[in-house]
Amino acid sequence: MSRLNLIFLLLFVGLVTWITLFQPNIVSSIQRGAMIAARPFIKASGELDKTANQSASDSRENSAQLGEQLREVVLERDRLRLEAMQLDDLLRENNQLRHALQYIQKSPLSLVATRVLSRKPSQWYNTIVIDKGSDAGIAVDCPVIVPLGDEAALVGKISEVLGPKSAILLLLSDEMCQVSAKIQNSQEQGILCGRRGALFSQMNLRLRYLSKEANVAVDAKVESSGTGELFPPDLLLGKISVISHGVIDSEAIVTPAINFDELSDLFVILPTPDEADPPDQQAQPKPAPPNQ
Amino acid sequence: MKQLLSISGLLFSSFLLQEFLPVFDWSYGARPLLVHAFFLSAAVAIPFPAMLLLAAVCGFLWDARYYIPIYSHDSLMGAIGQAELPFGFTIFLFALAGLLIQGVRPYFRKGRWELPVFMIGLCTGLILLLEYLLICFHRGTLELSPQLWSKLLMTSLFSALLAPVLLLLLAWLAGRLRFRTAGDDFKRRHPQDGDAL
Repeated sequence: MSRLNLIFLLLFVGLVTWITLFQPNIVSSIQRGAMIAARPFIKASGELDKTANQSASDSRENSAQLGEQLREVVLERDRLRLEAMQLDDLLRENNQLRHALQYIQKSPLSLVATRVLSRKPSQWYNTIVIDKGSDAGIAVDCPVIVPLGDEAALVGKISEVLGPKSAILLLLSDEMCQVSAKIQNSQEQGILCGRRGALFSQMNLRLRYLSKEANVAVDAKVESSGTGELFPPDLLLGKISVISHGVIDSEAIVTPAINFDELSDLFVILPTPDEADPPDQQAQPKPAPPNQ
Repeated sequence: MKQLLSISGLLFSSFLLQEFLPVFDWSYGARPLLVHAFFLSAAVAIPFPAMLLLAAVCGFLWDARYYIPIYSHDSLMGAIGQAELPFGFTIFLFALAGLLIQGVRPYFRKGRWELPVFMIGLCTGLILLLEYLLICFHRGTLELSPQLWSKLLMTSLFSALLAPVLLLLLAWLAGRLRFRTAGDDFKRRHPQDGDAL
């Protein structure tokens, strides 16, 4: 190799080393800039994708306006329904805690409606980009839910806030989105996670670390237990499809409650004021692991 | 200068077009990676220092747009631990693939495109495989499923299919703008660079 090429190679190695040592806040700033620049194209791509997926389109303008209004009303109805459900849960929990501990003050959950901006931006992670970000108060690790009949189903959690109007949502179908889960009408609890590599958009989930003698019925509902403090309790996750007993523990295959390919309108649970405080104002950091 | 401008223009165009390329569920999430294919096509046609510069720009822009910081469960969310795929890792992967593809430049300069096209597909798959292996390393278990190989194979095939079009485009631009894709001008100025050119 010539001297000139060697100099270029050394300069290149130095440059790569310097870039890999960037602090997360610098990386975040770079990504925000890139997202702002790419946003029109991402939006156009999303619209194109949506159009391609629709089998029939209505060309009448009035119909389109009415459709948009209906969409907004449905969105608002869903948001209110979810809030009402969570308030019911809070009321029940409040009554239980009053009996047990006299009084525990807990802030009500607040939700932000958001839409899918782009699907599957990553090669190896099951993620989607949503159209709300730091402007709406969204932060890393905020749970994302969707209404499903009379229940709320967990979609995933915010992995990164890309800017004022975009964030990355790590779907429940990814291996790195781990949720502490319980099986309805059972004492069994375990950790639910997806599969590695984003090889399938709609794949079965794994419920691990169940007890060795777990006696679980097929089609039993799996819900979040709320143990890890990151995800609220009683969010629908899926249904048991297969259970296999091992030497040490049992593992179940869970069919997800939602179709991740059909997600369009989502709701982000915003952090409570206590959680949103800067770390230096908090008395103690959370002892819970980051992904449970 | 013309070469630099035209390659920069094509690079940004490839990033824009990449936004519109779909993911194919039937091939386990494989997608055409236009930016990777463009970089590798250009890497076979430009001298070594220019390839490194292009790798740095392509990798940086790719990470700026598509990087997702996922921390393994043992790390403390970026406080101490590094994300599974660190920011800037794509630059390293692009340079590595560029180094490999520079090895087939003599064939390309002779007008033989078969091996460069094959190598472009192969290097695209290699980039993805290295990313996946690093993720597996962080998680402590290696999972190599048939679906994974299908995804890698299909992504490589997409790149290999795109490569002739991109090489033709580069050759056409070189003809229109009258610059040389094989780096002969550079060679005249630096005759000692015979190994790299």
